[in-house]
Amino acid sequence: MLLETLYSMLATLGFAIIFNIRGKNILFAALGGGIAWFSYLFFQKINFSITAANFMASIIIAIYSEVMARVNKAPVTVYVICSLIPLVPGGGMYYTMFESITGSLDKALKLGVETLSSAGALATGVLLISSISRLITQAKQKRKSC
Amino acid sequence: MNNKDINAVVHIAVEAGRIILENGGETYRVEDTINRICTAFGVRRAESFVTPTGIMMSVTTIDGNTISMVKRIQVRTVNLEKICKVNELSRNISKYVDSIEEINKILEEIDYTPRYSNKKTIFYSALAAGFFTLIMGGSFQDFFMALITGFFIKSASIYLKNLQISEFFINIVGGALAMLISLILNQIGLVANFNELVIGSIMLLVPGLAITNAIRDTIAGDLVSGLARAIEAFLVAIGIAIGSGMILGFWISTFGGVS
Repeated sequence: MLLETLYSMLATLGFAIIFNIRGKNILFAALGGGIAWFSYLFFQKINFSITAANFMASIIIAIYSEVMARVNKAPVTVYVICSLIPLVPGGGMYYTMFESITGSLDKALKLGVETLSSAGALATGVLLISSISRLITQAKQKRKSC
Repeated sequence: MNNKDINAVVHIAVEAGRIILENGGETYRVEDTINRICTAFGVRRAESFVTPTGIMMSVTTIDGNTISMVKRIQVRTVNLEKICKVNELSRNISKYVDSIEEINKILEEIDYTPRYSNKKTIFYSALAAGFFTLIMGGSFQDFFMALITGFFIKSASIYLKNLQISEFFINIVGGALAMLISLILNQIGLVANFNELVIGSIMLLVPGLAITNAIRDTIAGDLVSGLARAIEAFLVAIGIAIGSGMILGFWISTFGGVS
């Protein structure tokens, strides 16, 4: 599990270079990828379904990214985009395609729905956290102006 | 503030917005930057409407004149460093209020921020594909095979991008290449886990950025942009599936299956 986390960090590091991140942000982005995969595996281990594990992992990395963005004064996207990459259901996409090519449509449908719900879970997790962080910033601004 | 100055401010604001939008920033960040720059220069009534393919903004001056500008966005890539820099500039914009030329110079510098060289990008893409194969459950043998597929996929997509071919087509080619090379390597007998190898390779093409931005735009209330980006993400996924599916179907019908 730790080894896989390390692999995930290195894969995310590759993506940080592809997206042209520079300086220490590369390390933070890579760390985010590691955290994403670690929490995904962790929640699967304690018997969460794949979709639920995706949801929890995306919540965790969204929190991580919001905190890192505040600490380093960089846009949140720099961290979210990279950390989210390992969680994108590439496997689901592939198997859906594979089953529909080989002709087992019922399997393809099942996998397709699973893939879509995983992607939806990712989206909902990030959505939840960014909405909350927006609420907090707005509350802070209001207090300032009073 | 006279009309000439306001014109310059509008140009700066749109230029900053263009850099953010072209390099993968969210819609609200563009509107925010435009408004921040206008406010810093004392231009009160500035409105902007931004979609992934264009920026429209207009400013009303004190004597009632309206100045507006439309900027069409043709290229969209990902270069997060540029977004970081423009963001920093717009946070500290009040420092530069006295000299519009200086801001212009800074923006120009930001626009010429170099990317990592193609060699470096391809090398790290190959590594990313390799490590994704390992995560998905491949062996070390597959890791080295994924380095090869990753190398070819990224080289092809950089080459096609320079020819300014549409993103959709690039993804079809990328998916097809991932599948074709994996099938050939598999046929030679160099692959231990075929499925894991293909998944690791197509992870290079998955629409991570489009998904993230679609979500963030939707939360911020930019429904048009959110929908557009969600469709973009979906199209990328479809493109990959079409490309790899075409090759796989062809291979199965000619060779009768994947060994």
